[in-house]
Amino acid sequence: MLDFVVIFTKGGVVLWHSNASGSSFASCINSLIRGVILEERNTEAKYFEEDHLAVQFKLDNELDLVYAAIFQKVIKLNYLDGFLADMQTAFKEKYGDIRLGDDYDFDREYRRVLSAAEEASAKQVKAPKAMRSYNESQKSKKTVASMIQDDKKPVEKRVNIQESPPPAKSQPSSPATGSSKDDIIMENRRKLREKLTPTKKTSPSDSKPSKPASEKAGKKPRVWDLGGNSKDAVMLDRSKDTPEDVQYQNINSELVGTMQGVIRDLDVESEAEAENEEESSEEEQEEQVQVSKKSKRGGLLSYFKGIVGAKTMSLADLQPALEKMRDHLISKNVATEIAAKLCDSVATSLDGKQMGTFDSIASQVKEALTQSLVRILSPKRRIDIIRDALESKRNGRPYTIIFCGVNGVGKSTNLAKICFWLIENDFNVLIAACDTFRAGAVEQLRTHTRHLNALHPAAKHDGRTMVQLYEKGYGKDAAGIAMEAIKFAHDTRVDVVLVDTAGRMQDNEPLMRSLSKLIKVNNPDLVLFVGEALVGNEAVDQLVKFNQSLADYSSNENPHIIDGIVLTKFDTIDDKVGAAISMTYITGQPIVFVGTGQTYADLKAINVNAVVNSLMK
Amino acid sequence: MDKLNENARERKQIKLGEIDTGPILVALLLGFIAVAIFVILRRRSAGRKDFLLTGLSESGKSAIFMQLIHGKFPATFTSIKENVGDYQAGSASARLVDIPGHYRVRDKCLELYKHRAKGIVFVVDSVTAHKDIRDVADFLYTILSDSATQPCSVLVLCNKQDQTTAKSAQVIKSLLESELNTVRDTRSRKLQSVGDEDGSKPITLGKPGRDFEFSHIAQNIQFAEASAKDTELNTLTDWLSRLL
Repeated sequence: MLDFVVIFTKGGVVLWHSNASGSSFASCINSLIRGVILEERNTEAKYFEEDHLAVQFKLDNELDLVYAAIFQKVIKLNYLDGFLADMQTAFKEKYGDIRLGDDYDFDREYRRVLSAAEEASAKQVKAPKAMRSYNESQKSKKTVASMIQDDKKPVEKRVNIQESPPPAKSQPSSPATGSSKDDIIMENRRKLREKLTPTKKTSPSDSKPSKPASEKAGKKPRVWDLGGNSKDAVMLDRSKDTPEDVQYQNINSELVGTMQGVIRDLDVESEAEAENEEESSEEEQEEQVQVSKKSKRGGLLSYFKGIVGAKTMSLADLQPALEKMRDHLISKNVATEIAAKLCDSVATSLDGKQMGTFDSIASQVKEALTQSLVRILSPKRRIDIIRDALESKRNGRPYTIIFCGVNGVGKSTNLAKICFWLIENDFNVLIAACDTFRAGAVEQLRTHTRHLNALHPAAKHDGRTMVQLYEKGYGKDAAGIAMEAIKFAHDTRVDVVLVDTAGRMQDNEPLMRSLSKLIKVNNPDLVLFVGEALVGNEAVDQLVKFNQSLADYSSNENPHIIDGIVLTKFDTIDDKVGAAISMTYITGQPIVFVGTGQTYADLKAINVNAVVNSLMK
Repeated sequence: MDKLNENARERKQIKLGEIDTGPILVALLLGFIAVAIFVILRRRSAGRKDFLLTGLSESGKSAIFMQLIHGKFPATFTSIKENVGDYQAGSASARLVDIPGHYRVRDKCLELYKHRAKGIVFVVDSVTAHKDIRDVADFLYTILSDSATQPCSVLVLCNKQDQTTAKSAQVIKSLLESELNTVRDTRSRKLQSVGDEDGSKPITLGKPGRDFEFSHIAQNIQFAEASAKDTELNTLTDWLSRLL
C-alpha cells in the first residue's frame, strides 16, 4: 500500500528507503521539501499531495531526519501518523546516532512496524462492524478499562489489546469454575468467554442459540433491531467471524507489543513473519543484544546529559515563549493567522531538539523564528527584471508586466516609478491604460507620461521616445486594450509594456473574472500584486482571494497567478513591517519593489535582513 | 632576635622601597602581546580552512559530498540544511561544507560559512547549464563579488559529465563569461534596497569598460569536469590536495 518509504537527513542524503513500486519518487519528495518544509508550511497536517500521490512526513529535530511515506492519493491510510512515529522510535532505538557514511539496514524493523500498524488499523476498521454484537461491546469495555490504567499512545493501546487474548485462551478451564463469581464484570467476561470458546472449539451453531437466549433474558433490544428470529442465522455468521478476527488480531497485536516495548523475548510469531524469524532468529538475538547495549549506552549518555543540563524541548516548554513571540509579531502588524502559523512552524522545527546548557528557550525560539522569517522573505527564485527584459528584447518581443491590486494602493503611482527606473536603464516603455473605469485614470497616466518624457527627452536617447501611452478611452474591455497595446509594442519595437489595471476589491467576482481574462489572454511575463504596507489582517484575504480567483476563473491548466509583490507606502509604517511577511508567506512570492515615497526615485528593493531586524526589534 | 630583626628590616624595605612599576608594566605588556598574537594566529588558522560546495539545486553537490567524504553514492534530495564533513587527503584534512542550493536557504547558509572558506567549489550541472545559465551566472556572480570570498580559490566543477548531452568545461566557461558580463551590467542598475545604511557595497567584478573575463578577477578560478555518478572526481581531489 505504501509505494515509497524513506528516511533522509535534512542535508538531503537518503539513509534508508523502501520502494514497493519500482518507480522514482525523487521529484515528489523534492517538491515536498521545496513546497512545504522550506516554505515554513510544515504545520499543516504534515501531509502533502502531488498529482495522484500523497506524502505523509515527520520531522525529527533531534537527529535532523525526515521520515516520509508516499502512497496513492485515493487510498486513505489513517494509520500513517502513528506508523511514522513508531518508525521513528524504532530507528532511534536501533541507531542512536546518525553518521552519514554508515549503512542503514532497516528493512526488518520497517516490515515489523508496518505490519503492526496495518494490523492495528485493520482492527480499527473492523471494530465498527463488530460493535453490533454483544461480545464486541464487552471487549471494548475491557480495552477502556485497561486504557485507564495506562493511556498514552496508540502503541500502548495495542499492547493492551494484546493482553485481552490470554483470558480468551484460558477460557476452557475458567468458564465452569469462574461462573460463580459475584462481580458483574466477571459475569460479563464469562459471557464473553462462553461466546468465544464454543465458536472456536466446535460448530458455531451450538453456541449461538445460547447467546440470543442470554441476550433476551438480559437487556439487549439492540440485537432485535437487526432482525427477528429468522435473521439469527445472519447473526450467527457474524459472530462466527468476529472471534476469529479477534484471535487473528491477538496474535499480531502481541507482536506489536514486543516490538514497541524495551526489549522482549522473541517467541511471538505472526504468520507473516514466521519463516523470516525462524531463519534469522540467531541474528535477531545478536541484534537484540546489540540493541540492549545501545540503549544502555543511551541511558548512560542521557544521565550525563542530565548532569550537564542538556534538555530536549517539548511543545509544552515552548508554548509560553511562542505565545510571546506571536503577540510580538502581531504587534508588528503581521496578520494574526500568519503569526500563529509561523509560531506553529517554529514549534515543529524545535520540538524534540536538544538544548545547550546555557541556552534559554526564549533565545532558541527567537533564533528559530528569525531564521524562518529570513527564509520566508528570501525569494525562491531569481528576480532580475532587467535581465529578463534584456532576454525578451533579444528575442524580439516586449516584456509585459501587469499590475493588479485593490483600490487606492498606488498601482498607477508605482507603475510610473517602475517606468522611470526602466527608462533610466535604457528601456523604452509603453504604458497600457487598462483602467477604463475610474474617472481620471487615463489622464493621470498621460500626465506621468508627459513628465517622464520631459525628464528623459527623446533627444537624449537617440531620438527614441522613451515612454508612450496606449489609451483607448473609458468603458472598453481592458483585456482587448492590453492585447492591442502588446501588439503595438511588438510592431514598434518597444521593450517593456506596463499594463495598469483598475483597482478592484477581492470579493467583486465580475471584476476578478475580467482580471483573470486579462491575464489569460495576454500571457504576461510578470503579474505584480500591488499591496500597501499599511494593511494588516486584510492582506491575507486580499492575496488569497486574488490568487484564488486568478486560478479559478482561468480555464488554463496552469493558470498564471501572482508572481511578485510591490509593497507600497513603506515609508509610512516605521518598524511595523509585518505586511511584508504576511504577503510573502501567503503567496510564497518575493517582494520585487518597495515604494517609499512620492517621487519617481522613491523605488527600492527589499532588504531581507533589515526587514527581519525591524521585525524582531 | 637577629632573624626577627632581619625579617622586619626586609619587610620594611619592601614596604618602604619605592615600587618600580616599569618591570610590571613590561610584563603586563608582554603578556598582552602574547595573548594578542595567539588570538590573531588562531583566528587566521581557524579563519580560512573550509571548502564549500556551492551551486544550484540538483547540480549534484550532496552527491559529490557523499562521494568525497564517505565514498558512497546514495540517492539525495533537496537539502534543507548544510552537510559538514572532514575531508582527508593524506595527512592533511579540511572541513568540507555542502551548502544547500535552494534559493530560500543558500544565502543564509553561505553567509555562515563564507568567512572561513579557503576554497569554493562551484558545481554546475553540465546538462542543464545552457538552459539555466542565467541562474547559474547570477549565483556565481553573487559568490565572486562578495568581499568575503576575495581570498578564496574557486573551482567551477562541471558535473554530470557521464551524460551524453553534457557540455564541456570550455563551453560552460565561455557561456558563463558572456553571461557574467550581462549580470555585471544588470547588477549595476539594480535598485537600492530598503534600509541600506551599511555601506558594504559588493565589488564590481572584472575590469571596468572591458568585457568580463575570468582572468580579470581577484580569485584564482579554474574549470574542471567531473562526474559524481562515475566517481570521476580526480580533478576535484587534485585541486583540493593542491590547496591543502
